[in-house]
Amino acid sequence: MNAIPCLTIEDVANLDGILGNFLTKAEAELTVVIDRGGNVISQFGDMTVMDVTIIAALAAGSFAATKELARRIGEVEFNALYHQGNGNHIFMNSVDDDTIMITVFGRRTTVGLVRFYSASTAQSVAALLKSLSNGGHGFSFDASDITATPVFADQ
Amino acid sequence: MSIINYASREIQFKIVYYGPALCGKTTNLAYIHQRINPENRGDLVSLATAADRTLFFDFLPLNAVVIKGFVTKFQLYTVPGQVIYNATRQLVLRSVDGMIFVADSQWEKMEENVESFKNLEDNLAKQNISIDEIPYVLQYNKRDLENIAPVNYLEYVLNNRKRRVQSFEVISSTGQNVFASLNAVSQILLHKFSKQSDVPKAAPAPVAIPVEPSVAQKQSAAV
Repeated sequence: MNAIPCLTIEDVANLDGILGNFLTKAEAELTVVIDRGGNVISQFGDMTVMDVTIIAALAAGSFAATKELARRIGEVEFNALYHQGNGNHIFMNSVDDDTIMITVFGRRTTVGLVRFYSASTAQSVAALLKSLSNGGHGFSFDASDITATPVFADQ
Repeated sequence: MSIINYASREIQFKIVYYGPALCGKTTNLAYIHQRINPENRGDLVSLATAADRTLFFDFLPLNAVVIKGFVTKFQLYTVPGQVIYNATRQLVLRSVDGMIFVADSQWEKMEENVESFKNLEDNLAKQNISIDEIPYVLQYNKRDLENIAPVNYLEYVLNNRKRRVQSFEVISSTGQNVFASLNAVSQILLHKFSKQSDVPKAAPAPVAIPVEPSVAQKQSAAV
């Protein structure tokens, strides 16, 4: 059996507290914490505006794709990336070796404010995730909990 | 492997379609996107060149209720098959949970199939993962074409490891066995994380035990 790392309800509440506080201060719309494989770990804010799963997959790809660019100028990677739109923008910053934080924001705020508050938020998130990996909870389920029917049906 | 969010009761699994260029990985995803209940899928994101070759990856998120009490999200990715995009393939393989290796059944593609499989093993090794640890199935695609190798030959070339895996004869353009192979890898993946798989297997009996020759035997041999 392989246990899956698990965020308990309490862990999620702590993470939401950190992310909610960040969104209020930075006046951003949405923030998503993802792993570098593109999986969503936690999210907070207005999620009706976009498909967070797709944003996470593309952001992880974008972050990794610029790594080679960073290497060419003597950096290991870029710690932060900013994609500027006409009205909506994305700011991404590294949390730790396995995790990235994405922030979507609009005209209510500035990239400077988002960048400023995201730095301390990333540190808090990293500390929380580190405590999970040190004494983290594992999750597993019974084989009887898995449906016997095909997972996906050809309609 | 992602982290489970217990508050939202969601589990995410990442399944990667791997294989040589033009073997039908994107066609697999396009078929699944077209045929699955729209309520259970997100958009198919395809980052392709003008010539419809995958440049970065294709991505299709699917939802299913397969574990009691949890929403299970399967994220399907393809890798770019062209040899030059190896860095992108390594990126897509990060945190992979399960794989479908898509082989092109045509005789002239056999070398590319073998190279791609070797490339997959190498790229997993860079993440300190052995292919034997990852749930995967094989697709022998394009079975409708004329110039194709027989299945037993493909099995010999690609499925000749200590751990034999499930393989499927596929025509991805018509959808033959596209869902069957996805369901197979999903079930293997789910059972990998279930408690029942913890049951210890009986240790195989040793085939031969080397015996150190006794001193008397050594002396008689010397004489």
